[in-house]
Amino acid sequence: MKIGIPRALIYWKRPYFWESFFENLGFETLLSPKTNKEIVETGVKISDPETCFSCKVFFGHLKWLEGKCDLIFVPRLKRKGNFEYCPKFFALPDLAKILVKTKILTETFDEKKEKFEESLVKLGKKLGKDEEKVKEAFKKALIKEKEIREKQEKETLERLNLNSKKIILISHPYNLYDEYVNLRIKERLEKLGVVPIFIEEIPNSKFQDPNKFQIPNSKFPSFHWEFAKEIMEKINFILSRKIDGAIEISSFACGCDAVLKEFVEKKFKEAKIPFLYLIIDEHTGEAGFQTRLEAFIDTIS
Amino acid sequence: MKITFPYWGNYTVAFELLAKKLNLEVVPPEKTTPKTIEKGVKIAPEMYCFPLKVNLGNFLEAIERGADTIVMPTALGGSCRLRYYAFVQDKVLKENGKNVNFVIFDQSLDIFSKLKKLSKANIFKMIEATIFTLKALSIIEKIERKAQYLRPREIEKGDTDRVLISAFRRMREIEKFWDLLKFEKEIMKELNQIKIERKKVPRVGIVGEIYTVCDHAVNFGIEKKFGNLGVEVHREMSLLYHLKKKVFFKDFFIQRKIKPYLGSTVGGHGRDAIYEMLKYVKEGFDGVIQLLPSFCMPETSVRPILEKIHQETGIPFLSLSLDEQVAEAGIDTRIEAFVDVVKNYYQRKQKT
Repeated sequence: MKIGIPRALIYWKRPYFWESFFENLGFETLLSPKTNKEIVETGVKISDPETCFSCKVFFGHLKWLEGKCDLIFVPRLKRKGNFEYCPKFFALPDLAKILVKTKILTETFDEKKEKFEESLVKLGKKLGKDEEKVKEAFKKALIKEKEIREKQEKETLERLNLNSKKIILISHPYNLYDEYVNLRIKERLEKLGVVPIFIEEIPNSKFQDPNKFQIPNSKFPSFHWEFAKEIMEKINFILSRKIDGAIEISSFACGCDAVLKEFVEKKFKEAKIPFLYLIIDEHTGEAGFQTRLEAFIDTIS
Repeated sequence: MKITFPYWGNYTVAFELLAKKLNLEVVPPEKTTPKTIEKGVKIAPEMYCFPLKVNLGNFLEAIERGADTIVMPTALGGSCRLRYYAFVQDKVLKENGKNVNFVIFDQSLDIFSKLKKLSKANIFKMIEATIFTLKALSIIEKIERKAQYLRPREIEKGDTDRVLISAFRRMREIEKFWDLLKFEKEIMKELNQIKIERKKVPRVGIVGEIYTVCDHAVNFGIEKKFGNLGVEVHREMSLLYHLKKKVFFKDFFIQRKIKPYLGSTVGGHGRDAIYEMLKYVKEGFDGVIQLLPSFCMPETSVRPILEKIHQETGIPFLSLSLDEQVAEAGIDTRIEAFVDVVKNYYQRKQKT
């Protein structure tokens, strides 16, 4: 049996994990290709006009997978600990069912109600696999994910200690890693002679000491979104290092970013670090993007 | 200390009564106009949802008239952006040089302690004020529901709205609970005296986001528009519905009903929209209209599902997203076209 995984949105929350999990269970997996123009166009065509750009890209990937595999995997991510994912993730499996004819494989992951592993066991049952096998596959997948993650984090910390100009890129993983969506911003920044650092790759373990990086005042709300909390904490960490500029990328009509941006911007303004806010959507032109980046780099050097 | 709060349809009257009952000095917000919205949009974050911008406009106008404390109701739970409204509004107002106190009025039990701090009223006074407000709210909703029935049937067009306007003006002056009961009787009598033609008319259900659905200033008086075109509207979503839902755990039953369409909450009143639409279909309505602020996260998530129900059952469906760029003329055209569809559907149903 072939399981299709759309390479967008929730995939980037845990890249490599889902593929290796299903492969360890003995299934063939099919990843949709990297985002291209065709995928974005179909996505925009079939999805609700007012949903966010990232969701539209996701539906494009979903449509690409239709008919090419037996099952398409769309998990319903709800909570990570006490913190919620974006509310748009909650409805994804149901919307996917409307859009494509291929059967959707889904399972709710609500870590406040049950452990991640238990949800995986339930998912395994749907595929006819017993508990032990699922747990084994989970462990293997976790090890692989950890290896890749640690390598990334080590590289990031090394880059943070470099002497050249450093720019922190703040966004969701699905905007940072999808090169078509963010118009290859990493490459562009490197060409302009600065070191881009993804906020996603800053290690989590740096904030274990709660007293050290706590938000000290009531000027910032305590977010109930998992990504917002992480980003705010990581910004606190990054402000303790030397950094020359910050760029926030958000996809058009992203509701959560509308809230988050206000406070991220405030943080950098207070620290007197130049801040650039870029909105991306299906109409973003490369030339305009490049000009804004160049102008920004000029201000920091 | 002069308090103010955001304008929200006819409920504004009830909130004003509550504040007066607690002996607070209050600057009641004026009805939202395009100018108010313009003022709010100027300072609000661009990507934020529409109600926040309208509220900011209300606050700015109230500040001009001397208010210095803002009471902002927000949601405690839920996944939608309403949670951060007060924070963002506070920040935006401070950045624009308006130094005001912000009292965040979330739907938890500590609203009582906050009210106490604000008004220095004792617990009995507070309970009395709460009961008084709840009664006022129920009267407002009763009048609104009655008006929905009367408008398409009245012989002299505009009679109902004339009574409504004078009713809410009189309601603002009420101080005692006894007077409130008397007022209810009076107004019901007045409404019953309106000359109507008892006939069957097409019925349309309104679903959607609670603020836009209930505020006639933001949705261009959509209930009135439908009424004048000879269509009866029904609206399940209201403030008391929301409060009752919280008290009786109605979410659980709603979730069971909509299981084939949506497997979980999407924040806000996303699930309710599907539940209500299914209910309207079951009760034989002739159309469903969804109102939402542009880019509202829960409502845009459920819109494809509502469209699917529309395709399955054939019930006419229209979705209107409202924001600062929507013009009344555009809304009128769409409503008129929709009413035509509804009337066709109704007549076809009558024949068979």
